[in-house]
Amino acid sequence: MKSQKRSSILRTTKKIGDLIMEYFTRAWDRKNEGKPIAWVTVFTPIELLYALDITPVAPEHFAAMCSARGLILDFLEKAEKNGYSQTLCSYSRCGLGYALSGAAGFMPPPDLLLTFRNSCDVYVKWWQSLAMHLKVPLFIGEAPYVLSEEDLNNYVLDFTVNQLEQLIKLAEEKFKVKFNMENLIKRVELSDIASELWLKILNLRRTKPCPLGGRDSASDIFPLVVLQGTEDAVNFYKELLAEVDEKVRKHEGIIENERFRLAFDGIWIWHAFDMIKYFEERGAVFVYEPYSEAWAYRLDKSKPLESIAKKILTMGLNIDIDLRIKNFMDKIKKYNIDGVIIFSNRSCKTWSAPQIVTAEILNKELNVPYLIIEADMADPRQYAKAQIENRIDAFLETLEER
Amino acid sequence: MYLGIDAGASATKVVLIDESERIISYAIVPSGIDFMEASRKALEKALSLHNLDLNDLKYSVATGYGRRLIKADSISTEVLCIARAAYKLYPSVRTIIDVGGQDSKAIKIDKHGKVTNFVMNDKCAAGTGRFLEVMSNIIGVKIDELSALHFKSTSPVKITSTCTVFAESEVVSYLSQGYKIEDIIAGLHNAIADRIYLMASTIGFEKEVLFTGGVAKNKGFVESLSQKIGIKPILPKEPQIICAYGAALTAKSKVSKRKFG
Repeated sequence: MKSQKRSSILRTTKKIGDLIMEYFTRAWDRKNEGKPIAWVTVFTPIELLYALDITPVAPEHFAAMCSARGLILDFLEKAEKNGYSQTLCSYSRCGLGYALSGAAGFMPPPDLLLTFRNSCDVYVKWWQSLAMHLKVPLFIGEAPYVLSEEDLNNYVLDFTVNQLEQLIKLAEEKFKVKFNMENLIKRVELSDIASELWLKILNLRRTKPCPLGGRDSASDIFPLVVLQGTEDAVNFYKELLAEVDEKVRKHEGIIENERFRLAFDGIWIWHAFDMIKYFEERGAVFVYEPYSEAWAYRLDKSKPLESIAKKILTMGLNIDIDLRIKNFMDKIKKYNIDGVIIFSNRSCKTWSAPQIVTAEILNKELNVPYLIIEADMADPRQYAKAQIENRIDAFLETLEER
Repeated sequence: MYLGIDAGASATKVVLIDESERIISYAIVPSGIDFMEASRKALEKALSLHNLDLNDLKYSVATGYGRRLIKADSISTEVLCIARAAYKLYPSVRTIIDVGGQDSKAIKIDKHGKVTNFVMNDKCAAGTGRFLEVMSNIIGVKIDELSALHFKSTSPVKITSTCTVFAESEVVSYLSQGYKIEDIIAGLHNAIADRIYLMASTIGFEKEVLFTGGVAKNKGFVESLSQKIGIKPILPKEPQIICAYGAALTAKSKVSKRKFG
């Protein structure tokens, strides 16, 4: 395990930093022009907001970015000083800390707080607390749990579409904007193209050697988080696909001497990209993550509101665990995966709770070994580097011995 | 002659083996703050104990928390070293529970000695030797007196807190209420046994079960853990050097691989 091998990130991935900065600059420009800003949780109707000329920013994305850049502690500590417990989700602590610090950094202060009860058990109380601190209107959407395909063909879908219509009404009343169906169709189409491109890119990771690694996929999802329905997202994924395609044609892996192909289950540990590098330097490359895949949703422009409603309803954490496991098993086979790294996330109980049953089924049915890593996605104080590297060494050594 | 060094968080162990994989000498010294110095001392001690010559050394492997900080021909992880040693010494063993100074782990191996699963507690002091060190300081007894006192206990107290810091105040409270020291000690042993039992249960206890690591020298704790899991474990004569022995076996295998490979 001493071999230190080259590992790198893609040319196109390196452009993400600028894209994020442009996005926040534009959001502030909009704010200064008097246009509305919505703070949203992810998997909310972003395309619809753009169609309504409302600019979405996502405190979850902001927290991930702050964590990755080493800027999060100020906000976490601000929230903690105000009495928010360290055992609360770190994204929520960051968002609250940012709001309590005056909301004067990257994210412009909101005119609307929008969330859906579709993936996370903290969203609603977090958003309610933000609404009280920031004194802005709050829209909470409901998304019933989806157990089967049939759920999407009955009242659940109508119910969700109806809420989107209520959101349109609220926006028209509050912000004097006018909803335009043509505009929404255009946004839905762009969002669909971006997702299609991302799925094509992910599919190319089945190639050996794998052309795109974990540090790439962790960054490259950004346009699908808050830029769905924009030309920027489409252009980014076109460029990325071209680069990945080229690597595949040249048989060039993202790391030298690919020895192990791994899957990573969970949100990324944003402050520990070095951990991904640690794997890569030992010949282990991440080729698949349910998290990366989760951002892509094909939308049907002939049914724009229904498509968006379906996306909100079927986001990865709002569907039955059986469906998730089935998909994971399918991907383990398709991507020739040698081992699974399971990130048990202190902050995200929704993701972490079913991990053991998932891992055990994967292990039993497909004989895939797994390693559990415990940390927090955004709070660097919960990370024990030496211990985690020790576990990784032992795991890779056992893969080697198999 | 082959050398295995286990640079543990609390103690550094070295084992020297011969061509027939028999232990010819070993030594255990405290790791202190300088792993390099500790490993040098331990090696010197092991060599001089049986008048061995360093020039006969063919290969060395380092393992343990400080493995990257000491000199050796190559490194390996504790999981693999423990598994290798366990398989060599006790081929019927399928589960190994190792309790060290700073971490504890459970390892599952198949009938060929291959690791099929492992689980570690390395973030929390409860369930490790550190827990006992902290507690024995509070009670005011030496760490090697714990075992004898354990067997005098008639009704162990219940330590409910899973956190070392909170458990500390529980112990203080029991002391001030006049509970017998031996009952507190047995209660502490049961508490670590509970923690380790929970951790190891995630991979299951397949027979035979082997206990290793420095804490396995504490017979009182061994009794607590055996009762908890309901299986009588195999206990090596010197459980603290099993990992270093595995490193020495790894060293030998590296050389034979080199010869034939």
